[in-house]
Amino acid sequence: MTHEEIKSCCADAYSRDIVAMLLGDSYHPGGTALTRRLADRLALAPGMRVLDVASGRGTTALLLADAYRVRADGIDYAPANTALAQGAAQAAGLADRAVFTTGDAEHLPYENAVFNAVVCECALCTFPDKHQAAGEFARVLEPGGRLGITDVTADTDRLPPELRGLSARTACIADARPAEEYAEILAAAGLRVLTLERHDQAMIRMIDQIQARLSLLRITAPARLAEAGMDLDAAPAVLDAARAAVTDGVLGYALLTAVKSPAERPGDLPPGA
Amino acid sequence: MTQATPAPRRKADRDEVFVEFTKSICPLCKTPVDAQVNIRADKVYLPKRCREHGEFEALVYGDAAEYLSSARFNKPGTIPLSFQTEVKDGCPLDCGLCPEHKQHACLGIIEVNTGCNLDCPICFADSGHQSDGYSITHEQCERMLDAFVASEGEAEVVMFSGGEPTIHKHILDFIDLAQARPIKNVNLNTNGIRLATDKAFVAKLGKRNQVPGRSVNVYLQFDGFDERTHLEIRGRDLRTFKQRALDNCAEAGLTVTLVAAVERGLNEHELGAITEYGIDHPAVRSVAFQPVTHSGRHVEFDPLQRLTNPDVIRLISAQRPGWFQKGDFLPVPCCFPTCRSITYLLVDGEPGNRTVVPIPRLLNVEDYLDYVTNRVMPDAGIREALEKLWSASAFIGTETTEEKLRATAEALDCTDSCGIDLPEAVKQLNDKAFMIIVQDFQDPYTLNVKQLMKCCVEEITPDGRLIPFCAYNSVGYREQVRAQMSGVPVAPVAPNALPLASRLTTTPYGSRTTLTGSEELRP
Repeated sequence: MTHEEIKSCCADAYSRDIVAMLLGDSYHPGGTALTRRLADRLALAPGMRVLDVASGRGTTALLLADAYRVRADGIDYAPANTALAQGAAQAAGLADRAVFTTGDAEHLPYENAVFNAVVCECALCTFPDKHQAAGEFARVLEPGGRLGITDVTADTDRLPPELRGLSARTACIADARPAEEYAEILAAAGLRVLTLERHDQAMIRMIDQIQARLSLLRITAPARLAEAGMDLDAAPAVLDAARAAVTDGVLGYALLTAVKSPAERPGDLPPGA
Repeated sequence: MTQATPAPRRKADRDEVFVEFTKSICPLCKTPVDAQVNIRADKVYLPKRCREHGEFEALVYGDAAEYLSSARFNKPGTIPLSFQTEVKDGCPLDCGLCPEHKQHACLGIIEVNTGCNLDCPICFADSGHQSDGYSITHEQCERMLDAFVASEGEAEVVMFSGGEPTIHKHILDFIDLAQARPIKNVNLNTNGIRLATDKAFVAKLGKRNQVPGRSVNVYLQFDGFDERTHLEIRGRDLRTFKQRALDNCAEAGLTVTLVAAVERGLNEHELGAITEYGIDHPAVRSVAFQPVTHSGRHVEFDPLQRLTNPDVIRLISAQRPGWFQKGDFLPVPCCFPTCRSITYLLVDGEPGNRTVVPIPRLLNVEDYLDYVTNRVMPDAGIREALEKLWSASAFIGTETTEEKLRATAEALDCTDSCGIDLPEAVKQLNDKAFMIIVQDFQDPYTLNVKQLMKCCVEEITPDGRLIPFCAYNSVGYREQVRAQMSGVPVAPVAPNALPLASRLTTTPYGSRTTLTGSEELRP
């Protein structure tokens, strides 16, 4: 699979596939409570311009536009999501402050240094070229601007076979990295990490949710679920393995914030000096 | 000889966190008094002091963190179409509803009588085989229903209670009067004796449940399975009556809520079994657990060890660990969020081998019911559906609740992509949905005016007032109404609490009142 195909597959999975049904388009581990925690860590203030990368149906961008009164741009690889998010912005009366575009996180369609902050929730793990994406986050951020990420963390070498063997649907999660590696990727792009918090309980909650939704499908449409290629008998073992992996610290969820260094020239003094 | 230097005096820290200043009442004289809400060892307590009767303290919430975080579920109230009283002496003396009240009536209660075919040791209404009570007339019932409709416009639910409403000879007429008005659903709150023994009566109820756009649901007292539970709470072993009542309801197509009064040391071990029994019985679609309201008649209790909502939820989860975990129950936003918590389950499989899916695990319900931090949600339809479900007017078996359950399941739709037509599939879900309600009504010990002012469960009085249920039972309104209606003086009821034991005496109805001989017994 080429990178383009993987991106398209992941975006596709998140917008149309059964994974969207199981995880929920507007859902990421931690829900809006974690989004608010992220926003607080970024010290968002009214009027700031904020980019939400992989904006899905717009939940995060709309929350930021409403509660933090920022000007939010959302970008998503799936046109269907862009349309849904735009519609939600209009319905909420936030269309003047929340704008949604279809585009590629690895080639952001924005000028350099136009955003005061960038957020990306539960999506960096799905990007095939994480260094390229991080470079793009840095490029569109103004010097001193902040990046906020919440994402799945995985120590891929230690993942149990049940989780490594998952099909393309969850291949996205299988490309998650340990939290420290995300920090290194950001650092390599000139983004200095300010905070790194673990929110592994949010991952447990997501696993519970997947299990509950599988049970719902089992109750309502067992035959169709089998047709869609879900191996119902295997599901509990996979989910149990995932829970155990969280308990063992192999799988988890993390919140990171980073700051783009002010334009550095040799001889520049650090701020405040 | 040198003098020893006195040890320096050290300041000590308090062992509690002071979180609120509020008002309550003296449990003995019912005078409004200042009260505090404090957190001690992860639990929430309400201490207060009456100038005349001294200090009182009660446990009000068994989980401090949840008490604090539940504030975000506080939905803005809705203003009723009419108020029945004016603001004069301040809450809780102006009921009601007075214009200061923060919420409309999600549920109206009409007590049709004081008489009962049981004399339960636990009865907040102090009912029983009593010759000096009252029964309402057709005219009074109409006036009460009209007051409810004047306040609500189109009302969701009225509950007929008592006493024992099924022994009122006009109870079926009263249901007809309600159904003739814009009141969508009737709930009949009963001990089930008549339902067990009079199949013709059950059939007549079933017929009224078939009226288009209207429903009749049964709210059946059901405290557990141990003989001791029945004897201690109801004074009589009613197990076969309950079984027969439920079977008769199933036969007549009536939907039943099992309602358990839960008392520490009596039936707290039976909550999981009651839930499972309800899930397995075809007539039962919901269970309501209510920590015993220490008002009216009840067994002696320790106000610092009483059961609260988080305690009941913990017990349910501990008794059915495969089905429940922390987070499955969520506070109800229409009333004060600490008053009531609810969950809905989707249930499949056979008895003994159930798949149980709590709806809060399917989607982040708490994000949708958060009114303080999440004012905008991408899908307003889901919020609307969920707030109708997480409401004091939600009763399974009503059209509104069935419709909103469907809407919630449909929100998880993926028809276009994965080929599973979920909306079509969930149309068959109705009889698989099950509701569990945990409601801690306030009593003279626990009353917090802050909660009372947003109460959405109202007692409709024969003179056409709507009095918040917990004010009615705690402040003295029940005694006033009974005295007016029966013409017999009624002693002010005091809680049968351990710390008050030496200051109480028994009333003719079995409840306690403050000892005479001092000026404590004021009108």
